[in-house]
Amino acid sequence: MSHLLETIELTIHFGGLAAVNKVDFHIDEGEVIGLIGPNGSGKTTFFNLLTGIYRPTVGQILYRGENLTGLPAFKITKKGIARTFQNNRLFLNLSVLDNILIGMHSHQSSTWFDAIFRRSVAEQEIERGVEKSLSLLGQFSEELAENRYKRAADLSQADRRKVEICRALASDPKLLLLDEPSAGMTPEETEALMADIEKVRKTQPEIAIVIIEHDMTVIKGVAGRVSVFNYGSKITEGTYAQISSNEEVLEAYLGKEEGHA
Amino acid sequence: MRNKIIQSILILCIEALFYGLFITFMFTERMWKVVALILGLIGLAIYLSRWEKAAQTLAMLFKGMKVVSVFGFVLIILSIPFVFKSSPYLIHICLMAGLYSILAIGLNFQLGSTNVVNFATAASYGIGAYTSALLAVHFQLSFWAGIWIAGAVASLFGFLLGFPCMKTKDYYLSLVTIAFGLIIYLLLNNLAWTGGPNGVPNIPAPSIGGHSFKSPLVFLGISLPFQSNYFYFVVLLVVGAIVVAHRLHHSRTGLTWNAIREDEIAARCQGIDVTWYKILAFGIDAFFGGVAGTVYAYYVGFISPENFHFVVSVVVVTMVILGGMDNVFGVIIGAILLTLLPEKFRAFEDFRLLIYGVIVLGVLMVRPQGLFPQKMRVYLKR
Repeated sequence: MSHLLETIELTIHFGGLAAVNKVDFHIDEGEVIGLIGPNGSGKTTFFNLLTGIYRPTVGQILYRGENLTGLPAFKITKKGIARTFQNNRLFLNLSVLDNILIGMHSHQSSTWFDAIFRRSVAEQEIERGVEKSLSLLGQFSEELAENRYKRAADLSQADRRKVEICRALASDPKLLLLDEPSAGMTPEETEALMADIEKVRKTQPEIAIVIIEHDMTVIKGVAGRVSVFNYGSKITEGTYAQISSNEEVLEAYLGKEEGHA
Repeated sequence: MRNKIIQSILILCIEALFYGLFITFMFTERMWKVVALILGLIGLAIYLSRWEKAAQTLAMLFKGMKVVSVFGFVLIILSIPFVFKSSPYLIHICLMAGLYSILAIGLNFQLGSTNVVNFATAASYGIGAYTSALLAVHFQLSFWAGIWIAGAVASLFGFLLGFPCMKTKDYYLSLVTIAFGLIIYLLLNNLAWTGGPNGVPNIPAPSIGGHSFKSPLVFLGISLPFQSNYFYFVVLLVVGAIVVAHRLHHSRTGLTWNAIREDEIAARCQGIDVTWYKILAFGIDAFFGGVAGTVYAYYVGFISPENFHFVVSVVVVTMVILGGMDNVFGVIIGAILLTLLPEKFRAFEDFRLLIYGVIVLGVLMVRPQGLFPQKMRVYLKR
């Protein structure tokens, strides 16, 4: 049986450095996988490869049996892979609602011609989008749905992440890539984030999620399987219990013990 | 009811007051009056930007009685040729302000909505003017067909310019557009069939229902100078441009352009074909330029490459920056201000570019979002 997404020996070189090195990875429908590893271990680069921001030097990305390798980012999003960014990249001068509406771009179809000459088509599309956006926002936070005309730049860090996750969900993805969603959050906010992820799992159980995290409580709480990256390679994979006792993982995170110092 | 009548009268009075100031400004020859009016306007602008409440009350007043304010405004626009009947040159200035408004609204799709700094407005303006002028002189094509063909041809060149531009970004993209503008300028100057530096003379005036645009417009027994024909036509075009801009802004296309302006990488990850949407902005902008160029060519009856110099592009960019990025109202105000003001400072003609430079620097330092910044889109729930 083929996986939802599979990478085969995925590799990218920046100059002489292999930022991601022969990574074999797969994820199935409805799965949640945690991606951990020290800073600079290639986690975000791996996401950038999956979403088409970088082109792999070697290797393949297969998505529902289709080869995505080398496709531009916008086409990959259209196929159903959505993501958030490490330092969230909202459209800061636009409203919360506009941010979500833009997230629906990939399954909307009106053109400039419709906008000018077939106004009702363009208007209906926007109307439907607004309705859907508000219900999506409402699922996460009533407050955000109420403040839909607030400039994204005026939101708190935690709210920005929520909006970014909503924006990613607005594209109706089959695979959701979350890049360190809890970065810079207080413990309470992190807990709320975990509840939000649970909510997504409940309402749309078929969505597969890959989540990059440094916060182990999040990984422990949501991830069914954990992949560990170090120096661009996937060093091991398993349940949280398995990897938390793995020698290699501890070494990567805590450093090698130099004999008896 | 009584309240509404008072409000209506207030609105009409405010509009009449500004109209009066505008007329004074246009007619006066005295420098001190010009300077006093400008300082007064700047003072008012500062006052309104500091005391938000006053600005909001004013905006509420005009928004609450939309019909009355639009009615007053339409009356003002229609009466301009009557008021300036005795000095056609003033009608000419207003007409040019309209043409520049069209250019600025077009450029706004790129500069304001998408953050593509295009310095080739003069090129599409020129391509439009030459296309329709040559078609008219050599093939006797009518103005009414020529204007759309010129728009389409300029648009085609806009798309063509878009492709090399997509290989570059930011300043480099601007450099490519400057180069394109220069190439068009040089070609117009050196090709034989464009008339070279001599340009294209004797462009016939358009006519509608037997009424030539070169003959005076007679209305209710009042004879208005021939510029009035073009003035009213340009007003119609500006209204059309506003409608198109408004529709695009409030559609998926406008949202997409804004997304690209805000963050290109994030935009790509929303499934946006950034290249196509940028090229689309080039094409639509150029169409506006082509249409404006046609009207200009027919209006002056003689065009030469000098009319489509790089400076024109700089002026239009300045209009958009001064008026406000991605705010159609602001962009028009920018176009009007930067057309009218230089007329009153003819004595400083040689310093024109310097003054534009100072305006851009000043706006970017004091109010980088322009006089009228972009407003949030509001969606009405039915």
